Amino acid sequence: MGLLRRWWIWAGIIGLVIWLIGSGPRSEPPAVGGPRTLTIAWIPKAMNNPIFELGYKGAVKRAAELSGHGGPDVQVLYVAPVAADAAEQVRIMEDVIVRGVDAIAISCIDPVACKYPIDKAVKAGIPVMTWDSDSPQSLRFTSWGIDNYRAGQVAAYLLVRAMGGRGKVALLTGVPGAYNLEERIRGFRSLTSVFPDIEIVAVAVSNEDINLGVQVVEETMLAHPDLNGWFFVGMWPLFAERGAMPLWESAAQSGRLKTVAFDTLPVELELLRDGYLSGLVGQKYWGWGYETVRIIYEHVVLGKQFPPFLDSGMDVVTRSNVDAMIRAWKTHDFSRPLPNPFKPDPFRPRSYP
Amino acid sequence: MVTRVSRALRLQQRWYRFLSNREGVVAFLLLLMTLVLGTRMPTFLSAQNILNVARSFSWIAVAAVGEGVVLLTGGIDLSVGSTMALAGVVAALLLQGGTPVAVAVFAGLAAGLLIGFVNGSLVGRMGLPPFIVTLGTMSVARGIVFGLTGGWPVRDLPWAFRVLGQGDLPFLGGRVPVPVLILAVLVLASSLLLNLTLLGRYIRLLPRAEPALHLSGVDIGGLKQFVYTFSGFMAAAGGLMMTARLGVAAPTAAVGYEIDIIAAAILGGASVAHRGWSLWGVLLGAGLLQVLRNGLVLMGVHPYWQTGVVGAMLLAAILIDYLVARGSQVGE
Repeated sequence: MGLLRRWWIWAGIIGLVIWLIGSGPRSEPPAVGGPRTLTIAWIPKAMNNPIFELGYKGAVKRAAELSGHGGPDVQVLYVAPVAADAAEQVRIMEDVIVRGVDAIAISCIDPVACKYPIDKAVKAGIPVMTWDSDSPQSLRFTSWGIDNYRAGQVAAYLLVRAMGGRGKVALLTGVPGAYNLEERIRGFRSLTSVFPDIEIVAVAVSNEDINLGVQVVEETMLAHPDLNGWFFVGMWPLFAERGAMPLWESAAQSGRLKTVAFDTLPVELELLRDGYLSGLVGQKYWGWGYETVRIIYEHVVLGKQFPPFLDSGMDVVTRSNVDAMIRAWKTHDFSRPLPNPFKPDPFRPRSYP
Repeated sequence: MVTRVSRALRLQQRWYRFLSNREGVVAFLLLLMTLVLGTRMPTFLSAQNILNVARSFSWIAVAAVGEGVVLLTGGIDLSVGSTMALAGVVAALLLQGGTPVAVAVFAGLAAGLLIGFVNGSLVGRMGLPPFIVTLGTMSVARGIVFGLTGGWPVRDLPWAFRVLGQGDLPFLGGRVPVPVLILAVLVLASSLLLNLTLLGRYIRLLPRAEPALHLSGVDIGGLKQFVYTFSGFMAAAGGLMMTARLGVAAPTAAVGYEIDIIAAAILGGASVAHRGWSLWGVLLGAGLLQVLRNGLVLMGVHPYWQTGVVGAMLLAAILIDYLVARGSQVGE
């Protein structure tokens, strides 16, 4: 019973609980939709991945643009599990259904686990669309995202072009078996197989961990000193500061090693500008929010119908257009299309959108 | 018949004795693996690769030393991975704000000490189960890391800090990575603490003679509090070394590293079943895991199989531990 007497422990616990309740899920603004309001629950895979923040900002911007033109006031409710946990995401879906939002836009952690709550929402009269990561078997009215297979082909095209059509290539993936990464690799292999002088000599795994990514890149460089090309299926080791991968850096600077990576984050753009990378293929992070809010608005308010899959396209960045992308990150204005990445454009690849 | 049985028993005991000399077994496996990999892959024994392996093994080894002491007392510390990330992020954020390197490093270590102290207080003073307590602090520390960074990695750290992970110092005509030197200093200090002080003697006696220690007036709760605080400190030191090496403090850094760290400590013989724990055993365990992983990558083993091989190695170590525990019972 001594513990009961320690009032300060209990005061601390109660204070913590009040603080936690006070700092609950972020909504902007937190009101539930009325007749003149369109409340969209925007659910990414996890709060701990900063890339989703950009999508959320896009969603808020589009909501502000659409509001105040005689139509309903558009509001975005931003809720997600802290880490990518499929069960937690299902629970959050059920919460927003009970809360009674007007529409849901979700990036599914698991396509199968997502099906049940999506169907439940649709049966309750809440239209649902997916973005980034789909649940094709569910009743969602459409999905907006990148075609990972084609993106892998575009990455292969960038790399083969930079390597002059010949040489040894290694791949770096994240968690083996992840569907989107495997699709990128499948697309990459499908295009490189056309070139007889391109040989894939190694596949390394980073487990989406920066430290492990750095280690395996350096180890692969040691095992294959004559390597000419890298395809980083995600950007994990590139988060590390310069000096962390001395073998990769010196080979990249000498020009005998070309690297193409996925994603177009500022740190990668700097590496591209400084000549370490030959090209980047990125998703439309901003569009995850900006475009989904538009699609939902047109579907719910204007009654427009959409095909089951909407290809978002992709951002292809090379040294020719890297400055435009850096500017977009600085101003957070991704609405303008990027300049042509191929200057001069010798031929337009079949797979390029 | 009797002689045959006694001979078989003797043979069995000798086998258990060999297995129970964990350092010997791990050192033998490490040597064997080095020989096999060295002959099959010439790059394995290149100076560059040895430096790489030594560098990336150092922070796991530092954290494993702290974990080993906790395991020795019959506890477990699951919060080591999150503590590594927290220490790195605290130091990195201060460095970004222009704080001197020494102060930032000290603050990172203090964060680890705090997590360890909380663990130790809840386990040692209040008698809560260590698995549950450290599982909780694992989430708390990770949550703080995400809260502090907003999910974004902290970059642009000064060279004066990065040298702790990326730097090399000339040594006997060659080069030694700075993190390996830090590891050596920390291991030496830990060895002195455990072997030459009364506190160290008590810690080593704790798993076998807790009632006796209690009767002779030793503060068992305080002892456990110290052990977890020590583990938090070592994890923080490891986290700072890793952050310095990468030049970035990622909120997702060291996720799942508790498995590697506990595996290294168990491989080195740190468990209650095994009573001959030593720091060298833990170092060898961490080295073995790192060399195995490095060798699999160099040999081009398909990544799908690599996780399985490392897991099998850990299972084998636990099996050996079980056999030794059973063997010592047979022998008694």
